[in-house]
Amino acid sequence: MWRATLRGLFAKKFRLVLTSIAIVLGVAFMAGTFVLTDTLGSVFDNLFANTTKGVDAVVRAKEPFKASNQAGGGEQTRPPVPGSLVDTVQDAKGVDLAQGNILGYALVTGTDGEAVQNQAPTFGTPWRSPSESVNQSSEIVEGRAPRAPDEVALDLKTFEEGKFRLGDTARISFLTVEPRELEVVGAFLFGGKRDGLVGATLAAFEPETAQEVMNRVDQWDVIEVKADAGVSQTEVRDNIRRALRDAGLNGDFESITGEQLAKEQSDELKKNLSFFNTFLLVFALIALFVGAFVIYNTFSITVAQRIRELGLLRALGASGKQVVGSVVIEAFVVGALSSILGIVLGILIVSPLQGLLSAFGIDLPGGALQIEPRTIVVSFLVGTGVTMVAALGPARRASKIPPIAALRDQAFDGGAGRRRYIWGTVLLVLGVLALLNGLFGDLSGGSAAAFVGVSALLVFVGVAMLSPLAAKPAARLLTWPAIKGNFITGILARENAQRNPRRTAATAAALMIGLALVSAIAIMSQSFKTTFRSAIEDQTTADFILSPSGFAPFSPEAAQAVRDELPGSTVVEYRFGTIEIDGDGTAILGASPEFTEMTDAGVSRRAAAAFADEGGMLVHRDTAEDRGIEVGDVLDVRFPNGPGTLTVQGFFDDKKALPTDADFIVSTDNWDGFPDPLDFYVGVLKPDDVSTKEAAKIVEGIADRIGGVEADNLAGFVDRQIAQFNQILGLMYVLLLLAVVIALVGIVNTLALSVFERTREIGLMRAVGMSRVQLKRMIRGEALITASFGSLLGLAIGLFFGVMIVQAFASDGITLAIPVSQLVIFGVLAALAGLLAGVLPARRAARLDVLDAITTE
Amino acid sequence: MTATVPTPTSTTAAARAVDVTKVYGAGDTVVNALAGVSVEFQRGQYAAIMGPSGSGKSTLLHCLAGLDRVTAGQIFLGDDEISAMSEKQLTLIRREKIGFVFQAYNLVPTLTGLENVTLPLALAGKKPDQAWLDQIIETVHLADRVDHRPNELSGGQQQRVAVARALASRPEVIFADEPTGNLDSKSGAEILGFMRKAVDQLGQTIVMVTHDPVAAAYADRVVFLADGLICGDISEPTVDSVMDNMRRLGD
Repeated sequence: MWRATLRGLFAKKFRLVLTSIAIVLGVAFMAGTFVLTDTLGSVFDNLFANTTKGVDAVVRAKEPFKASNQAGGGEQTRPPVPGSLVDTVQDAKGVDLAQGNILGYALVTGTDGEAVQNQAPTFGTPWRSPSESVNQSSEIVEGRAPRAPDEVALDLKTFEEGKFRLGDTARISFLTVEPRELEVVGAFLFGGKRDGLVGATLAAFEPETAQEVMNRVDQWDVIEVKADAGVSQTEVRDNIRRALRDAGLNGDFESITGEQLAKEQSDELKKNLSFFNTFLLVFALIALFVGAFVIYNTFSITVAQRIRELGLLRALGASGKQVVGSVVIEAFVVGALSSILGIVLGILIVSPLQGLLSAFGIDLPGGALQIEPRTIVVSFLVGTGVTMVAALGPARRASKIPPIAALRDQAFDGGAGRRRYIWGTVLLVLGVLALLNGLFGDLSGGSAAAFVGVSALLVFVGVAMLSPLAAKPAARLLTWPAIKGNFITGILARENAQRNPRRTAATAAALMIGLALVSAIAIMSQSFKTTFRSAIEDQTTADFILSPSGFAPFSPEAAQAVRDELPGSTVVEYRFGTIEIDGDGTAILGASPEFTEMTDAGVSRRAAAAFADEGGMLVHRDTAEDRGIEVGDVLDVRFPNGPGTLTVQGFFDDKKALPTDADFIVSTDNWDGFPDPLDFYVGVLKPDDVSTKEAAKIVEGIADRIGGVEADNLAGFVDRQIAQFNQILGLMYVLLLLAVVIALVGIVNTLALSVFERTREIGLMRAVGMSRVQLKRMIRGEALITASFGSLLGLAIGLFFGVMIVQAFASDGITLAIPVSQLVIFGVLAALAGLLAGVLPARRAARLDVLDAITTE
Repeated sequence: MTATVPTPTSTTAAARAVDVTKVYGAGDTVVNALAGVSVEFQRGQYAAIMGPSGSGKSTLLHCLAGLDRVTAGQIFLGDDEISAMSEKQLTLIRREKIGFVFQAYNLVPTLTGLENVTLPLALAGKKPDQAWLDQIIETVHLADRVDHRPNELSGGQQQRVAVARALASRPEVIFADEPTGNLDSKSGAEILGFMRKAVDQLGQTIVMVTHDPVAAAYADRVVFLADGLICGDISEPTVDSVMDNMRRLGD
């Protein structure tokens, strides 16, 4: 059985290749995703191993609370440690050297006046000569170490990117002090590599200066410890813990080993990476799901075509099980070969994939490719498994072929039973119920998303099972112009598309999936964009808004500069923080007291005036009602820097025009409880006596000078935010394109098999006078009909899902907006792509020799 | 029934092969399917080509019909030399000047009987001549079956549709390749009768390959082929005269 199966398989190379592509692409995407994220993981492992090089233990403040719902910025929640703690640690047993370290904000402006900044943080740190330093992460490679307050050393990459020479002056911006002009006295390598910082920039200062410029006077972020020779990391850590306890400080401070710290930091980053991994894997799975349709269809067709051969096997004594076995073996071989090819291709596409992400604004550091056994095993199992599962249905059908089929001569895809339609209806209903439960049920975000995902799966399969019912009328409708014009090729194309509705429907279903996802996303994003635009434009009166160029927040220096240079203007700063309220770490928004003058968030006049008082706070009205919070309530809270209280001064109704989803607002004047004053947005209302043009010039000048900040008028700000959003949207479309491409491969495959099956008929038509051009037109017509059908089904499902999902967000003020012209363009493009998919089979058909074709058995 | 006999446009033969050779393969495996065949088929005549298998009779028919290329020699359809034509020109010739009846799989399964009949005209973008269409459908006794698809027709009915299609474009010649090979004798006799009628009453020209002496006896003339050469040519054949000739070839 094995040998017969394999021989049959390799005899049809063209079919094998086309079938494989469907799986190869999905598996490649999956394997590529694994390799990419593993590579990133190892890059970061390496980074953090370097960060803690030479460090045997660290002492740091305890985390004041765990943030469960961290919206917006990535504000650190650990407060600094006092400088005096260094002596306590130094005195612990087994400590050779204890030193404070800081990793703070420092933005370097290059000699060309542009800030040196990638999509990564810009750090400042104290510098000590290697012989005196605990931390051994860096070494000077040019010039010398900074020794005076007006000196700085830069990491080599920043040094080069800023086009500095030794002795040049560098302008460096900070959070709490004025920018400084410092002399560049040296350049260093971090972790022994030019890109050891993975895109971040690092400026090093003489230690006391570092404390001053980074808001850590007499303080450090952490204390790093070098152990005595022969003392292990855990020993010295335990000794320090004991010393902290003896000094009564173990309530506020903790000690861990250098290795633990590196692992902790790396794990934290990998948690973010795993989101990214999941994001990409979802698209890989979609591609595989579409591939499964293609496989199912191919096997259905080939089983139907081999009905005589399989009947003969039965007649010769093969059992039904053996026939199933032969089909399953074929599926296994196809799946296994495709998966292996896919894994190899996946490793090859990592760097193009990275290039693609970078083109959409996601810059990722490169590194030596990490190919884990897990990547190979999972990709292989999933690829092979999907192929075999998809082939199971056709295999079962093959087992039901009676021996007598050997004597009949018509290829026949078993009639679509009523069972199929009943099951299709059941799945469709279950899918819709799952959607309703996911969207409107009382679920957490994660399980709601899971319900919607499962619902999409059920609806896709359900519609695919039911769609043969619609294939005939759809083909009739779609070819109406051709029939009207009495074009014979159009009529023939239509008849071909109708002759096997199941085949047409299954081929179209693969395309339907991609179209449905694209159009649902288009509807959702259009709704969100429209809502965002109208919220900002209707509820905000700011003339200008400053926003970060990348994702990193910027220094309050910008807001201060606007206040200074545009006197009489109203300047509102927005900051993101986390805070513990009722034992729950949650997001909080910092806003300048005047924010209600600029943004209509439904805050009463009294509350607007009172909230900026020391210890005042605004609460979102719904949250307040949920928790029974009333005006005047005094809540016990924990700021990152320590415990405190906040008094509820009023409510706000509307978050839409605010920059975060936070339920609490405090004044930026009362930001002392948070470690660093980083601004995410700054709104500016110009004074009446300055023209808009003049004010724009001033604000833009400030943004240019400071770097890392963009200044726009309101419409420009909305455009910029939407452009950022569109980048991610564009990325999703491109990733979904893969699913569409696989579906198109499916169309090529189905048509090629149909052409093969109809060789004789094609020969006949050619013999009675069909020209090659007409023949090609007929086959491309069939492709067009199939693709249009899939495209229409997809648009319908996408419309349904998009509208339902937006409805679920109606309570958040999201209003439905349907991008009609965009959807029409998607639909037409998909149909045209289908036409393109028909080109190859059409050419093959046209190349058939007439005489050979009519004399084919 | 009134016959609408087309007036011949020239006195030349409807189809003509001039010194045609056809060689398949190369080297050791070379097969001379036709080894220098010259033959003419007159307008308004019903001719049969006979010969044992491997004699080259099907090859001759395929070459005459422009379905296969000759290795040397010339093929004329009326005044046109089709052996010198491009594939594109041949398509037009097949569509407009030649009718085909094959042994089996004659019809496009997705089209009705009538649509199959008018397929060559539709491919040419022409409107069928309704009177002519009615006449040929009448001739093959199909009036009540033309709206059915091939899978709803019997083998004999399918072949009748094929004959009607071959007639539909009023071709110069109809080529038939074992048209009764797959039929029972009653249906076969019907088909042969219709083809006879097409020649007698509608003035058509038919060239038919067959191995059945009974079928050949319906023709006006029988050409015998063996080993790629013409080896006999009888007029007004009867079953007996055909069998005699065949027997001689077998010796």
